[in-house]
Amino acid sequence: MHTTNLMTEGFNLMLMGMGFVFTFLTLLVIATTLMSKTILRFSKPEPVAKPVKPAASTKTQGKNTELIAAISAAIHLHRQRK
Amino acid sequence: MDKILLLWEGSGLYNLSLPQFVMIVICLSLLYLAIVKKFEPLLLLPIGFGGLLANIPEAGLALSAFEQSLAVFDPAVMQTYADKLGLVLDGASKAANKEILLPAIKSLEDPVILQELKTMATAAGYTDGMLNTFYQITIASGAAPLIIFMGVGAMTDFGPLLANPRTLFLGAAAQFGIFATVLGAVGLSSLGIVDFNINQAAAIGIIGGADGPTAIYVASILAPELLGAIAVAAYSYMALVPLIQPPIMRVLTTKAERAIVMSQLRPVTKREKIIFPIAVLVLVALFLPSAAPLLGMFCLGNLMRESGVVDRLSDTAQNALINITTIFLGLAVGSKLVAHLFLTIETLGILALGIVAFGIGTATGVLMAKLMNKMSKMPINPLIGSAGVSAVPMAARVSNKVGLEANPQNFLLMHAMGPNVAGVIGSAVAAGVMIMYLS
Repeated sequence: MHTTNLMTEGFNLMLMGMGFVFTFLTLLVIATTLMSKTILRFSKPEPVAKPVKPAASTKTQGKNTELIAAISAAIHLHRQRK
Repeated sequence: MDKILLLWEGSGLYNLSLPQFVMIVICLSLLYLAIVKKFEPLLLLPIGFGGLLANIPEAGLALSAFEQSLAVFDPAVMQTYADKLGLVLDGASKAANKEILLPAIKSLEDPVILQELKTMATAAGYTDGMLNTFYQITIASGAAPLIIFMGVGAMTDFGPLLANPRTLFLGAAAQFGIFATVLGAVGLSSLGIVDFNINQAAAIGIIGGADGPTAIYVASILAPELLGAIAVAAYSYMALVPLIQPPIMRVLTTKAERAIVMSQLRPVTKREKIIFPIAVLVLVALFLPSAAPLLGMFCLGNLMRESGVVDRLSDTAQNALINITTIFLGLAVGSKLVAHLFLTIETLGILALGIVAFGIGTATGVLMAKLMNKMSKMPINPLIGSAGVSAVPMAARVSNKVGLEANPQNFLLMHAMGPNVAGVIGSAVAAGVMIMYLS
């Protein structure tokens, strides 16, 4: 009696387990596919990464002009002292 | 002369029992496998060494304070235990007293009295062994496997899976190995060969998930007494994946099938990668809360990686933190490699069933991939199905290697990574179902 109970419990666990794993992953497949489709539809202008670069480069440009200004001021001062 | 005798009686050699000696030899061979054969050395080395420490005679590193007091069997302390239990120790000899006291404690079911005895042991000056402390902190609390899972999440790239979500089915099919093994384990106990209850059978089955932290997590909840054997089996077989899988894969496929070239995967946007772990977690929350600890930590690690805003956390999770945790997890598993838990017929059963679990998981993964290849327009090489057993990234590399044998121009690695990480999710879900059903 005990052993047959154990076997049925094993069977139940197997049926339930495999059933659940498949259901869950099927849901995940559906959710993932939907998510990808939605995202790809709403983000046609390629996102994020690009605007960062010009911003960064203008920043360095700004720094450069400041630097040039500082250097020329220093040269100017130097020449005046002469 | 008396002093010399005392020194001799306190030595390890005098106290070494045969089972302890056998365990030390087993642990040395684990170290050999780790160091010379490079079998999952990151885990087998600390496990093997932990096992050595646990089997040092008289040191009692793997024992709790209470077990320690019983092992020493100091007459005064034992008298207090006997008074507590209402027993009379007639004091004829130590052995006679042991025969009175130990069975009574073993059959003690009242947790309050047991707790009081443990407090008495601490009061008498006994402390938990070092490995016992590690075990309590890392495994009994469930913390270490979960922290490792977070690190694995931070190392996982879901790109190939997102590019071809249907490979999730392969990760599901390969979990059949887990449940078939559960059935095998209860079958063996029905035949009277070994004695596993349903919880133990489930914990053994999870070896087929080919996922170390998941196996340890499930075993620590469902069958802590088998944890040593289960962890050793899981990690050794993971190292043996390149030997176990290819013959099964070759038998189940034709040469033409193995040579199938799969179409290039589409590029996956960053947003998809960021939303995916959140989507997984929402599904877990809705349908399977018992898998939430495992998959929650996994998704957290993955989100840290993909969001790109917490590189420092992601870096820590996949390097420093996972390494620290691995050391203590290994030692803690080693503390379960003591003779009375490991040298049993059950351990042989676990080793045998574990390899069957791997084999069946591989076979069902390949068969599922064949089925999907027949059903869908997009060609699917059946070899990627075997990667569904998880064992990241070893199983995917095996798929790639066997594929290259059939067609030297065919690189399956990226295609196999999809089912491979799907297998991780699949085994975590299977673990969640088992925990929900059995505890």
